[in-house]
Amino acid sequence: MNVLSFMSFLVLGITILTMIFGVIAYFLYKARERKQKRDEVTYEDVLDSEGEAYLFFESSKKKPV
Amino acid sequence: MKTKRIYDSKVTILVPCYNEEEVILSSLKSLLAQTYPYIEILVIDDGSSDRTYQIAKALEFDDGYHSLKVLSKPNGGKSRALNYGIDHSYGELICAVDADSKLKENAIELLVEHFDDPQIAAVAGSVYVINQTSILTRLQALEYIEGLNMVRNGQAFLKLVNIIPGPIGMFRKSAMQEVGQYDHDTYAEDCDLTLKLINKNYKIDFEPDALSYTEAPENLLDLLKQRYRWTRGILQSIRKHRKYLWNWRAKASMSFVMWYMLFESVFWPFMQLWGELFMIYLGLNLGMSQLLLFWWILFTILDIAGAFYCLLITKEDLNLAWYAIIYRLFFISIINIAKVFATVEEWFNIKMSWGKLERKGRI
Repeated sequence: MNVLSFMSFLVLGITILTMIFGVIAYFLYKARERKQKRDEVTYEDVLDSEGEAYLFFESSKKKPV
Repeated sequence: MKTKRIYDSKVTILVPCYNEEEVILSSLKSLLAQTYPYIEILVIDDGSSDRTYQIAKALEFDDGYHSLKVLSKPNGGKSRALNYGIDHSYGELICAVDADSKLKENAIELLVEHFDDPQIAAVAGSVYVINQTSILTRLQALEYIEGLNMVRNGQAFLKLVNIIPGPIGMFRKSAMQEVGQYDHDTYAEDCDLTLKLINKNYKIDFEPDALSYTEAPENLLDLLKQRYRWTRGILQSIRKHRKYLWNWRAKASMSFVMWYMLFESVFWPFMQLWGELFMIYLGLNLGMSQLLLFWWILFTILDIAGAFYCLLITKEDLNLAWYAIIYRLFFISIINIAKVFATVEEWFNIKMSWGKLERKGRI
């Protein structure tokens, strides 16, 4: 195998790996977003889901006696 | 007299912010150092849960020519915060900046000069990456120079810049009010507003020397999150104004801009990935043809030459040009894969959220 063939092989290999990595990275990003969404509900999310409705928040933590 | 008229215009700088305690101080200091003499700075705290409001509030002042005021409202998103700021502003010109960016001291002065032409409704500035601390952020630095600033330079030739960037953009307030200010139905409110202005036959210009330095995402997943939102936001804007795609005769400039955006955000990423899949197919079916290597070298040389040209024009660090090799090999493919997925999700109308990026406080 000469140098040019080897370089062609290298470029091809890197291209294939990059595309696979790109797809994996995208799904990792989506998984991270899903996890974050599960972990916390923000005021924005509630506002989005409730539209113009008046929102009243109550702390879930019990006050110390 | 030209100079007198320019300096008569009051500029309101809007800084919408939501949990920006890491960066807000640097950002506001850069606004207070502006050389333009007649500035009102309005910080709109969009319901932050951190110390953003307190930090900005400590800087409040008013000396008659310069002032800084902090407004607070319940969280409602960037577009609502911007509209809230416009409603409380006194300037004839509105400059919208991101809280994670800082401006060069003459930026406002340079932007204002364009508004001598009454047809100009908005002017975009140049955005540069400030945190060039890793390969990923240096790749983005190159991308901002080549793919955003130079592209806007070209669009400015026709006075049809299609997106006023979040980190720096100035608008004529009367034109903004004429088109109903910012709408809340897309995730690219800046793109949507620009399209509405172009649709009213206004011109949109670019000022390459008005510089804004912004913090780029420092890890790959944050970068994908940002690009996902950009792509879907632009597609939402295109979808919203889609009737103008085929309205060549009545709205030639609008139609041209829309097709350009569609090409850049949808056709080009698909074509690039299709090209790479074709290359893989050729390689696997026809053996390790040396043509593949030459094909790759050709594009890489073109990329490096293009990068050198852009860096020379913008007087940026020439060493960034070598990143064009990595840009071609990895970066652009990974970004385009995310864009293609974002396009598919937008096509199927899958629900999305804004997805705020975590600030590192690098500005």
